[in-house]
Amino acid sequence: MTRTFLAALLAVSLGSAPTVARAEVPVMIRIIKGSRQGPPSVDPRLEDLRRQLSPLAYQRWEQVTDEQRDLSRGKTEFVKIPDGEQIGVTLVERRGDTVTIEVAITSRNTQTRLTVEKGQRIVHQVTGEKAGAAYFLTVRALP
Amino acid sequence: MEADDLALVSRAKAGDAQAFRALVVRYQRKVYAVALGIVKDPDLAWDVAQEAFVRVHGHLAEFEAKSSFSTWILRITTHLAIDAIRRERSSRKDDVDDVREADLADGSEGILATSLGNDPRANLLRRELAQKIQAALDTLPEKHRTILVLRELEGLSYEELAERLQIHKGTVMSRLFHARKKMQAALREYAGELARRADAEEDGGGGPSPREAGGSAREERTEGED
Amino acid sequence: MKDCVRFAPMLEAREGELASEEAAALRAHLDGCARCRAAQADLEATDGLVAEALMARANARDFAPFVDQVMARVGQGEPGRTGLLAWFTLHRRAALAWAVPFVAAAAVLMYVRRDGGPRQIAQLEVNAEGDATMVLETSDGPVVLLDEHS
Repeated sequence: MTRTFLAALLAVSLGSAPTVARAEVPVMIRIIKGSRQGPPSVDPRLEDLRRQLSPLAYQRWEQVTDEQRDLSRGKTEFVKIPDGEQIGVTLVERRGDTVTIEVAITSRNTQTRLTVEKGQRIVHQVTGEKAGAAYFLTVRALP
Repeated sequence: MEADDLALVSRAKAGDAQAFRALVVRYQRKVYAVALGIVKDPDLAWDVAQEAFVRVHGHLAEFEAKSSFSTWILRITTHLAIDAIRRERSSRKDDVDDVREADLADGSEGILATSLGNDPRANLLRRELAQKIQAALDTLPEKHRTILVLRELEGLSYEELAERLQIHKGTVMSRLFHARKKMQAALREYAGELARRADAEEDGGGGPSPREAGGSAREERTEGED
Repeated sequence: MKDCVRFAPMLEAREGELASEEAAALRAHLDGCARCRAAQADLEATDGLVAEALMARANARDFAPFVDQVMARVGQGEPGRTGLLAWFTLHRRAALAWAVPFVAAAAVLMYVRRDGGPRQIAQLEVNAEGDATMVLETSDGPVVLLDEHS
């Protein structure tokens, strides 16, 4: 919320700490595709996800898109996925090194809220499986 | 953000249900929060919030992007919320809006700044504080609650508040003054409690530590509301 | 002081909301009035808390059904999901990383204490609303899967 500017002026003149601007959290959002068919392989760009993806049945992983966004609290960013759907990614809260992010799939009744530490990745399936493949969205808060 | 919204609105106007759904998902909580602040009751707020989106859907054709989608839907939400509570009871004579000397003379200024600190958001007792704020907000008469909610949640300026509520700018300012004053009076009791706990901690005994109190407040929160 | 009565409602003004003469007069008053400075400090301390309290309640509430309900009221709703999925919404579970895929319940709320060290407790909190999902917890972060029948 905006501090009153007079208060800020006063704070400066009385020597107390200046107010902090609204915090933004930069995140990397990737759309990846997992398939059951095809030779088992992991796109080299997804090496950091390999361990996290290993329990899943999909053995072939490709990166589709990759972008950085800045999330500010309460403001939903929409990410488009190959089937045309929009996935809503919202920063719910941020406290020190942990962030709470909500992933919402608008065509379904799915809204998932996850609290993770910076450096951890959220991997969220965003389409049902079709022809042995499904899309996932990954979010990682950047330090 | 605004450009995104307008793009979604255009698509929704053309009959794209997914685009409209995306708008709902984007704004549902904000709309609900504004309604909740005004009507107090969570179920009524839920209903008002849904009705606001239904209205918007019905009037998509008329939306001309002169204001942002966000302003549009929150304006509708405000009016529906105010209507909803006025329907439930006949309006009372609320306090006079003018600010008088008597409104100032209580000598407790500065206590909140001292006990809540420079950045209350960093406060471990945030959840507890949020509950106290909510309780204090609920004690305010409708006019004061409404103006405070709009000022804070929607960030409206004096001029925008005057337009939204159809009152003069001077009235906006004094009404806000009264609203905040009442909130602060309710919070001072809590501030006193915080001070007592802090003292007890220093003395090495006494009541629950702030961390414990914060912990139990956190567990309460996980119940959520249904 | 009569002046304080005049200036009290101006204390929370934001940039541009006061005419420049008013703003100058307010600044001058504040320079000499400890009470009003203290009152302003109180406003500063409580700024934004109402918004935060209300948003916290909005965030805590399960909004999964909201959009479908709006669409139903608008006349474009899908028939409600009943039966098996409804039963699953009553049960809340989390899967372990090695679990065989199965359809899990609608909402999972779980705290995991991380071992090691005098560091603060790291908490993994997962809250999935709506359609049945499965959540796998890994040390690299959560993996959320959708109901395979959707």
